[in-house]
Amino acid sequence: MFLLSILRVIKFSLQDFWRNIWLSVVTILILVLALLSVNLLLVVKVLGSTAIDAVKEKVDISLYLRSEAPENRIFTLKDRISGLDSVKEVNYISKQTAIENFRDKHKNNQDMMLALSELGNNPLSPSLVIKPKEVDNYDELIVSLNTIDDQIIESRNFDDHKAMLAKINNITDKASRAGLIISLFFVLITVLVVYNTVRVAIYTHKREIGIMKLVGASTWFIRAPYLISGIVYALLGVSAVIIILYPLLSLIQPYLANFFSGFEINILTYYNNSFIKIFGLEILAVILINFLASLVAVGKYSKV
Amino acid sequence: MNMIKLENITKIYPPDIKALYRVNLHIKPGEFVSLVGQSGTGKTTLVKILIGEERPSQGRIVVGGWDITDIGQAEVPVLRRQIGVVFQDFKLLHRKTLFENVCFALQVCGEPSSKINNIVPQVLKIVGLENKMRRYPLEVSGGEQQRTVIARALVHRPKILLADEPTGNLDSINADEIIEILQKINKFGTTVLLVTHNREVVNKLRKRVITIENGMIVGDQAVGKYIL
Repeated sequence: MFLLSILRVIKFSLQDFWRNIWLSVVTILILVLALLSVNLLLVVKVLGSTAIDAVKEKVDISLYLRSEAPENRIFTLKDRISGLDSVKEVNYISKQTAIENFRDKHKNNQDMMLALSELGNNPLSPSLVIKPKEVDNYDELIVSLNTIDDQIIESRNFDDHKAMLAKINNITDKASRAGLIISLFFVLITVLVVYNTVRVAIYTHKREIGIMKLVGASTWFIRAPYLISGIVYALLGVSAVIIILYPLLSLIQPYLANFFSGFEINILTYYNNSFIKIFGLEILAVILINFLASLVAVGKYSKV
Repeated sequence: MNMIKLENITKIYPPDIKALYRVNLHIKPGEFVSLVGQSGTGKTTLVKILIGEERPSQGRIVVGGWDITDIGQAEVPVLRRQIGVVFQDFKLLHRKTLFENVCFALQVCGEPSSKINNIVPQVLKIVGLENKMRRYPLEVSGGEQQRTVIARALVHRPKILLADEPTGNLDSINADEIIEILQKINKFGTTVLLVTHNREVVNKLRKRVITIENGMIVGDQAVGKYIL
């Protein structure tokens, strides 16, 4: 008997969905718009995080060495620094590489090139470019570097880096906080939109709910078709979002790759890797909101 | 044993509107009773109490041997499956065909499809709608809608049929047809409580008439007339 009731509830739900096709279409349309907004926000968040990571990736510390430092001692120092926990990698920039980089960087600056040729010899020092494992652990790295005592080290003033990193961390923290607040705000609006859409959809059935109660339908028998409809809305809505979103992402991906050139950014890959997580959560969230809305609305209109 | 027993039923709506006051009523199985009175005298409140839509403020109410004075919300659907109800405004589901509307009353009880497909056409035939069962309510006349409602009320084979102003929205020809159907149902043994303020209908019936005024019963005649 219970199975029979379940089958009847599913039948009534699909029948109602079809016989109220315009109301169903409008409900799904609003759902799609709300979900597209959420996904748009997610794309912006992913891009924001990538941009922040890209900036952090650029952060490194240069340890300048004495010009006359023999290379074997430099390599020993390099290995020693590479062994530190907070160090991701250490690159050695020789005097020759440094001057080549300098020339390349300032090749269009005539005054700079003239001044360099007047000096006659290579004025630049060799250096070790150190990349920290985590930008947040920058202080720890500085402390570790300060403990290394080696005669070939010429300069170990890290104050400029510290200030710059503090700024970066400050900006990224603020960006994360602002992103979180905007996300919460956006999600709240979406929840309210979906919740009220479902309530309005049920409101149009107010008279029918009353009649069902009058002929002896239990509250479960009245409520269940709306829950089934909610699942159908969620599945169709999210499917529509997937159909709309993927071509859209494919369209913007080349522009994103160009904008973030030099960094690994592929929003399509991100969506592919998190497909179940993103769209599964969206389906569950819509079903949950629908459940709450129908619980309140049906309860309200079935008090006869 | 009485089919409907009301003992000192009082219904007060906030702040202190007395819709019913100390109503005592006994209706025997198989009786056809007309409950008459002008608008706002408490007739519909009485019907609402009988179907569990309202609870009495005071008194005791027994329907078919079941004390429903303090009926729980979960038991209301069970009660309604035992009482057939016909309303003035039909209360049909517009997105279901006449056949589906009648089926629905059985489907909510979990009756098997084979039984439903057997009973529903028979009941629709009794009310003369066997040729229009695939139509939607808005595609048929008011009289036909009301006959569908009666069919829906009958599918449970109820012991009691409550008809609240069933002819209120109908012309005299359709109204007569509906009353004839109610009489036919009564002859099969169903207790019928007809709530109306249609003088002509009541006088023609020549059955028991209970008159209600200002929430109180002011007349009860075994073979009565509309006297207000």
